[in-house]
Amino acid sequence: MPRAPHAPLFVRGMGLPARFGLYVLFCLVIAAIDTRYAALQVVHDGLNAALHPLRILLAMPWDWAREAGGFFTTHADLQNENARLRQERERLMAYNQDRHALAAENTQLRALLALAPRPGVNGLTAEILQVSADPFNRKVIIDRGRAQGVVAGSPVVDGNGLVGQVTRVFPYSAEVSLLTDREQGAPVQNLRNGLRLIVSGTGADNLLEIRFLDMHADVKAGDWLYTSGIDGVYPAGIPVAQVVSTEPPRHTPFAKALCRPIGGVGRYRHVQVLNQMAVTMDATDGKKRP
Amino acid sequence: MSQRPTRHEKAFLRKGAEMAVPATRARVWSLLGVGLALNLSPWADDLRWLVPDFALMSLLYWGIHAPRWAGLGTACALGLVVDVARGLHLGLNALAYCTAAFVVLMLQRRLENFDVSRQGLQLAPLLLGKEALVLVLGLMFAHGEVDWRWLASGAMAALLWVPMAWLLDRLTGRPIATPGE
Repeated sequence: MPRAPHAPLFVRGMGLPARFGLYVLFCLVIAAIDTRYAALQVVHDGLNAALHPLRILLAMPWDWAREAGGFFTTHADLQNENARLRQERERLMAYNQDRHALAAENTQLRALLALAPRPGVNGLTAEILQVSADPFNRKVIIDRGRAQGVVAGSPVVDGNGLVGQVTRVFPYSAEVSLLTDREQGAPVQNLRNGLRLIVSGTGADNLLEIRFLDMHADVKAGDWLYTSGIDGVYPAGIPVAQVVSTEPPRHTPFAKALCRPIGGVGRYRHVQVLNQMAVTMDATDGKKRP
Repeated sequence: MSQRPTRHEKAFLRKGAEMAVPATRARVWSLLGVGLALNLSPWADDLRWLVPDFALMSLLYWGIHAPRWAGLGTACALGLVVDVARGLHLGLNALAYCTAAFVVLMLQRRLENFDVSRQGLQLAPLLLGKEALVLVLGLMFAHGEVDWRWLASGAMAALLWVPMAWLLDRLTGRPIATPGE
């Protein structure tokens, strides 16, 4: 009796090399088919499905080992991780705050962009660099100066209304006195009845006043005050303030009205400087007149 | 008196256990299954290229000790399963397994009489060559790039052959072959 099928005493079937050749051919053919066509996908799918429970079974001991390892995590590891997570949380919170700030700034910039260009005036957008640390004056420094064409006296507005006026110009920056500065005033007109008034700052953050108001002047809470444009500094029609309350005269012959500024005085980071374009206008006017 | 074997007669008798446990189809298949399971185990990804092909090692072991049960057909079937499990094109590992089994069957009578370390030495080129063959076949059948580190698994298999074969020999009760006898 032959000991093994590979070397039979009497050759009955194919020899080992011949069978090997057939197997090689078979393997090459299915490899080629599998490479070129999707026909054997069924075989793949079926065998994979059959192997799936086996895979899960085989992964189990590893999972157990991992879980057992995790159970014995040291206290120090947990503490470290806790500290790390805490730091991460702080960082993310700071990031989130930053995001809100950016969103708000974006909204304000969009409002600035949407400002309709006023005739004879060109707007120059500027960023507020710093707020002067002066308890008596309300002033900010913007990042545009003489080099960018800022001139002293130009009104400064934001998306909502008047903010202040350029009071000093430096080569690459300028100082803006806010509307709330005690020294600052703006000629306005009551939108309701056209009454001309002068609004001044009080030195408080969010409060303006109309000093020396005639006792019988028709000013009521809720009135809108816009620039009148008669002073030649502020263009007409910029929203300035809304009347909050009026005070009857007490020890003086004049009444007083308190107003709330409409522009974001001391609130935003971007403003627009309105520069007059007077020269060219005058030239054309001069030609047309005769 | 004449019943006791003489000194010359004694040399022809085996030492240790008389006979190995016979290799049945069930034993062969269960060992192949264990090899396959080891192959499919979720090894760490960075070590994956070092893990030897246990299925091939068990196939070759039975190819040496039970060629009746671990022939070309078994090799081909096992190779196809490994192909599917590894997500390769069908036939790559099957061809490599067939080739390895063919060589082992050709050398079976010689390999059977060597001890495990010498077997390992002779099988090393085969185990290495199988990995190389799979990689080359993979290149041929349009796998764009080949990670040649996987050849290391062949070397690892050659190294692990000795302990594995030794362990299996003990499990099947095969006598320890002493060289030169």
